[in-house]
Order: sequence, then structure tokens, then C-alpha cells
Amino acid sequence: MSDAASQIAVPVPPKELERAPLVLNNRSFGWISDRVSAITEGKAPKWWWAAFIPSFTLLGVLGAMLFYQATTGVGVWGNHHPTMWGWDIINFVWWIGIGHAGTLISAILFLLRQRWRTGVNRAAEAMTIFAVMCAGIYPGMHVGRVWFDWWLFPIPTYQGLWPQFRSPLMWDVFAVSTYFTVSVLFWYVGLIPDLATLRDRAKSKIRQFLYGLGALGWTGSNRHWSNYEKAYLILAGVSTPLVLSVHSIVSLDFAVSQLPGWHTTIFPPYFVAGAVFSGFGMVLTLLIPLRSMCKLEDIITMRHVDVMCKVTLATGSIVGYAYAMEFFIAWYSGSAVERFAFINRAMGPYWWGYWIMVTCNVVVPQLFWFPKIRRSLLVVFVLSILVNVGMWFERFVIVVISLHREFLPSNWDYFKPTWVDIMTYLGTFGLFFTCFLLFMRFLPMIAVSEVKGVTAQADPHHPAAKGNGGGH
Amino acid sequence: MSQPDDFSNDDPTQARPLDLSKWRNLPGKLMLVGALVTVGGAIFSWRHDAMVSFGFFWLVAFMFFLSIGLGALFLVIIHHLFDAGWSVPMRRLNEHIATLLFPWLAILFIPVLVLAPKLYQWMQMTTAHTPDHALTAKAPLFTFTGFYVVAIACFGAWWMLSNRLRYWSLRQDETGAAQCTHKMRFYSYIGIWLFALTLTFGAIMWMKALQHQWFSTMYGVQYFAGSVWLTLITVYVITMLLDRQRVLSDVLHEHQYYFLGSLFFAFTVFYAYVSFSQYFIIWNANMPEETFWFVVREKGTWFLASLIIIFGHFFLPFLGLLRIDVKSNFRIMSFFCAWAWLMHFNDMCFNILPVRFPNGFPLHWLWLPLGIMALMGGFLADRFLKKFASAAPFPIKDPRLIEAMGLYHPVPTQISGGELDQTDTMHGSPVRPKGGH
Repeated sequence: MSDAASQIAVPVPPKELERAPLVLNNRSFGWISDRVSAITEGKAPKWWWAAFIPSFTLLGVLGAMLFYQATTGVGVWGNHHPTMWGWDIINFVWWIGIGHAGTLISAILFLLRQRWRTGVNRAAEAMTIFAVMCAGIYPGMHVGRVWFDWWLFPIPTYQGLWPQFRSPLMWDVFAVSTYFTVSVLFWYVGLIPDLATLRDRAKSKIRQFLYGLGALGWTGSNRHWSNYEKAYLILAGVSTPLVLSVHSIVSLDFAVSQLPGWHTTIFPPYFVAGAVFSGFGMVLTLLIPLRSMCKLEDIITMRHVDVMCKVTLATGSIVGYAYAMEFFIAWYSGSAVERFAFINRAMGPYWWGYWIMVTCNVVVPQLFWFPKIRRSLLVVFVLSILVNVGMWFERFVIVVISLHREFLPSNWDYFKPTWVDIMTYLGTFGLFFTCFLLFMRFLPMIAVSEVKGVTAQADPHHPAAKGNGGGH
Repeated sequence: MSQPDDFSNDDPTQARPLDLSKWRNLPGKLMLVGALVTVGGAIFSWRHDAMVSFGFFWLVAFMFFLSIGLGALFLVIIHHLFDAGWSVPMRRLNEHIATLLFPWLAILFIPVLVLAPKLYQWMQMTTAHTPDHALTAKAPLFTFTGFYVVAIACFGAWWMLSNRLRYWSLRQDETGAAQCTHKMRFYSYIGIWLFALTLTFGAIMWMKALQHQWFSTMYGVQYFAGSVWLTLITVYVITMLLDRQRVLSDVLHEHQYYFLGSLFFAFTVFYAYVSFSQYFIIWNANMPEETFWFVVREKGTWFLASLIIIFGHFFLPFLGLLRIDVKSNFRIMSFFCAWAWLMHFNDMCFNILPVRFPNGFPLHWLWLPLGIMALMGGFLADRFLKKFASAAPFPIKDPRLIEAMGLYHPVPTQISGGELDQTDTMHGSPVRPKGGH
């Protein structure tokens, strides 16, 4: 800034346009450490047990369903001709989509220097990892003989067996496993300083040992911070294309085919937008109750909720554009089968699925245009659930409605899920919530060191920083 | 140590102000030369092929400059939607560029309207009542009335949005009222939908419809990606020039260059991503009603043009912009600006010209599209400079200006989307050098 800058009469924002701080009530560094660490240190509250026990029970249900399926065969699912993909691929894509918000918040928003991410990134990253785990179950089980899953990987064998590299399902294996690996690495690297905090606060030897093991000898020295920030930046750079590639490749499962309703060029960006949309929906669903139950209102503020609502609105609108464009181009193409596929979506036997999808994914997010809606936690919570309902139905529309009436009318049939489909799906919620509840109980669910960096007193120019020496 | 020149990476406040007085008449000269070449080309084309080639070249140039106008409109809309702070100093530039959409780009569209029956095969088929399923299936959109209604709707929407957004921005220069911010946000709320619809229809009706049998849901997105890509680097260079002239230097901070460069980098990837996705999905499915569009573009020198898109539109800027410091290097970014103009021109040619010249780019005609580009470029630059001179160079009373400048806000909050570590100074404190601490 030149000297002349001081001559310019810079307008100060009026009250109504002032930005809210990212940490409320001028909380100190110590308060942030205490508040976040306390979740892992004290006795588990009753609400935690009330959530954990049913989740763990559902996890058991998942185990039972998978055992039944593996020992009996894929026929226990509702997949049958012509709908040879049913709830398995729907749920796979749905969970993978949910797993997009975490890395987007961590990597892309980090590169774009959006510091509001600090309040929510840790929980979102954990959510990503658990969602990808849930997703991975489906293709792994769908192969039928799960003991041959390892054939998916290009491992030289005496039989000379190689995977079919031209199959998009093969690309999924590489895309999802890479995404999962990098997401775990990214999450873990971010955890290191906070694990050291927990180590230093630990009162028992076991905690001290275990957290110390995870903290990798972190002392907070200048060299450690320097290496840490370089590693974090590199991982953010590596993760960013993965955020886009995973769901793009998942979209190719459908788009590279010749099936009307699947073969459309807009699928890759449309799937990515939908994934971010559902991911943010799930982050809101999880964090709105948690901020209250864990008393984190000063860290996960209404500003965070507001921004996440806006991202949901933006991505929901992109998804709406894609729906409209698919319909328009089906008409524009003049192809009878394309036109039928889309009319069948809106007016066929599964019309209700299509309109639930449109309502939840296009109409409902438009409510986020209104600040009053964004400020009402209850309404945002309900809408965030509807977002994920809508995104589940989007996959249902793509998979089931496109398949159940394909080219030959003699092939048409009505798809119905079996009880195993339903219980397996519910079981994945058990896996997801069990993992998430264990995470928040034993690991810092807020990135403590990063949140401290966005407080007013972390700014060395701020009067509040004078007592802190400007350090972290 | 020698005195730093105007484009050095040293602190610009230490460099001489940039003197552009000798370039003042450049738009007029471009217009003159361009007009001569265009008129000559029109006459030549009239005798050669009844103005058909001229029409195609005019369409290339028009779609090229339409990209910049639409890209600027998008940047204004997105600025308000995201309540951005860092982009305030450049917003005025975008507002001026966006208002070129109407009436000036609408006027430049008139030759397309007049020559449309020669450019669009479907119009000839309509006139000749040739039976064609791909055409009749698109009624009533693909009728003369449909074509003109889309054009009126597009320019009407662009006029309303660009005019209202600029009006309230200039109004805020006078009043500084928050109400103006709210008004601009309101127009951005409805604007983003109108923008998406009109850009898509414009790209479909004016470019894709050259081969009306072809269809792709990605086409509008691809034109959008290329347009914003081109606009970002254009605005970057204009900002840089104004910074060097000391017009914007008081309100600019380092992060503006970083963010503009990063967005340009992001759109480099985004354009490649959507282009590749479109190609790959069509190639893999291998359906003749889709692949024919690419088959035409693999013949003759169009194959080279497609390679230029792969290596020049993507790989070169992608690899060149990977480093953080490059995004603030004015020499390199100026090169990329010129490069982006060349690449987008190639892109427009690749999309439009194979219909007329299926064997490859007509090098013997190169002078004509360049002449039309000079005419349109000179004309629009002249209009832009007049608009620029008529208003403050940046939104002087925008409530977010303080964030863009990197000045500390007295309320304990973050600035510029969280750049606490880049604050220069507090209000009332001695001014510190740019670059934070």
C-alpha cells in the first residue's frame, strides 16, 4: 500500500454489512483448547451413549446382512433383470457423494484461503473417510464372491488374470482407493498438532502414550510448523484434483454407456456438484446438533452455518441446471428413446421418485436465498436432511428409472428392493455413526490449532494480541 | 542497482508510473485498419461466396468478444453472490465490460442476424422445406421466430443485468449507502439464473446450431468455462496496467493478483475438464449421431487445432501457473493474457469454422478474421475507455473496499475472506509497506 492510501477516505462498513467474527465472544487460545479437548477427556455424556448404542446395533445389523449376502449370494438383493443395478450402486454413489465435502473444505477452501473452513474441516474430513468406507462396501459385496475382491487390483498371478482396465468400474477402484488414502493422510497430518495438545494434557499414562504415538514427537517448534505447513499445502494440492476426479469417474460408470438417461456429457461436473451438495448437506446435519450438544457455538458459529447454506444453494442450483439441461437436450436431440427416458422419469411408474428428487434438490435449496431461513437452525437442519433425501432419490432416478424400462418393452419390469437391501442400507448408517461418534469421543473434532489462527488475537496487529506476543 | 522498470516484480510503488499516452489512439487505429480490412473482406467474400465466409468469420469474432462481455457479467454477479471483498477494485472494470453487451455487442450481432440464413444450414432447410427429423423435432425453437426471440431475450437479459448492476454501483459512489449493495445483490440473485439460461441458449443457438443435428449437454458449460477463463486474464492485465499507472495502486493489495491468477489457473483446469469429459464420453459411447461432430474436426488442419487446444489451452498455462509466485509475475501473466486470446480465438475457430471449411483452417483467409477482430476489438476498447473515463476507477464507497485494500477493520473480524496474516496496518496507525509482516 502506498502512502497515498492513507489519504483515501475508506468507508467503514455499516453495521448491517459487518462480517461476524469466526470465533465468537473473543475467546482465548486456552479456552479453545479446553473446550475442544474436554469432549475427549471427560466422561461420555448420556446423549453420546444414546446415539452410540443404536448406531452400534445397526453396525451389527450390517455385519449380519453382509454375512447373509456373502454366504447366500447377490440374489438376496432386489437386483433382477432388467434392473441389474439397484440399491447397491445407488447407495455406493450416495455415500461417495457425501464423502466429498470433507476434502473440498480441507483442500480447495484451504487453497482459496477461506478461513471459515477451520471451524468445520476436521469433522467434515472424518465424515468423508467414514462415508467412503460405507461406499466401498457395496462394490466389494456386489462382485458376489467377495473372497475374490483382490482380483480387482492389478496383481500378477500365476493364472495371468488381469482386471478389465476398460471398465469404468475398474477406474472406480483406483479413484476411490486413491481418494480414501489421500483423505486419510490429509486428515491425519492435520491432526498431528492437536494430538500433541491432547498428549500434553493427558492425565493417564495410556492416553499420554497413545496420543504421543499419533503426535509423532510434535513439539511445536518452528521447524515442525514449517514442515507441517509445507506438507499440508502439498496434500491440499494433491487432494484438490481428487475431489473432482472421484465423482467424475463415478459418473462415467453411467455416462460412457449408450443407455438413454445415462449417456450424457454433463454427467461429470453435474455429479461433482451433486456430491458437494450432498456432502454439505450431511455436514450441516451432523454439526448443527453437535455444536449445541458439545457447546461449540462460539467455534461453529451461525456464520459457518450461513456459508455452508450458501454453498448448498450454489451446488443445488448447479444440479438444477444439469437436470434442466438433460431434459432440454433429450428433447433437442430428437431421439425417441432419449425423449421417452426422460418423460418416463417424470411421468412413468416412478414419477414420485423424480419429483421428490426435483423438490429436494432444486426447490428446497432455493429457500436458502432467504437470510431468515439460514439463521433458523431447526429449518436448516430439516432442509439439510431433505437435501440428502433428494440426493438419494437422484441416484434412484438415474439407476432404477433408466434401467427398468430400457429399449425393449418386453424387458420392462418394476424394481422393488428386498428387506436385505433395506437393512444393509440402514446398517451402513450404523457403521457411519459408530465411527463418527468414536471419532468425536477420542479425537479433537475441531482443528484447535487452526481455529486459534483465525481469532482476532492471532492477528499481531490487533490490540488483543499484545499480551500473546502474536504467537500461536 | 538499476531502476526497476514498469513490469518488474519489485514493489510497484517504487517504479515509475506507466506512461500509456502513446497507446491512446490504438483503439482508433485498430478500428480504422479493421474497418478497411472488413469492408474489403466483405466485398471479396460477396464476390467469392455471397458473403458466406465473411459471415462465419464475423461469427468467430463476435462469439470471441461476447465471451469477454459474458465473463465480466459473471464476475460481477458472482462478486455480489459471494459477498466478496478482495475483488472490489476490479469490479468497476467488470461492470464496464459487461455493459458492452448492450447495445454495442448487440449492434455487432446484427450482421449475424442478417447473414443467419447463409450460416445456419437449418434455416436453409426451413426455407426449402427439406424434411429433416433433427430439425422438425426442435420446433418451435428452430424456426426463424425462435431464433430471433432467443436473440432478443438474451440481449434483453444482458442489458437489464449489466445496466442495473452498474447503475447501483455508480449510485453507491455518490451515496455510499448499504441499500445499493442490497440492490446489486438482488440483481445478482435473479441474474445468476438469467445468466445461465441466456449463455446456454446463446452458445446453442449461435454456435452449436451450425450443426443442428449434434447435441451435447455440456456445450453451454464449455463456452462458459472458456469465456470466464479469457475474461479473468484480461481483467488481470487491465488491473495490472492501471496499477502501474497509479490509478488503482492505492486500493490494490497483493492478494488481488494472487486470487485472479488462481482463478485463471482454476478455469484452465475447469475448461480442460469439461472439454475432455465431453470428448471422452462421446468417443467412448461411439454413437454416430454424436461422433460426427468430432470426426469433422479431426480432418485436415482441424486436427492440429484440436492439438493446440490440448497443449496450448491446457498444458502450457497449467504447467506455467503451478508455481505460486508466477501468479504475481506481471511479465509472465501478460504473456498468458496474449496466449489466452490466441487460444480462445483458436477455440472459436475450432467450434465454428469446420462447418464452412471442413478440410482445415483456411490460412489464405486469415487476414479477414484478424481484420474483423481488430475492428471489434478497437471498437469495444474505445467504448470501454469512454465508460471508464466517465466514472470513478473503482467503487470508491463500497463497504468492502477496506477489505480489498488490506486495511485492518476496527471490529475484531477477519478481512478478505480471512487474510488476517496479510493485514497491512490498523486504522490510524503508521502506514507499513505492502506485504504485511
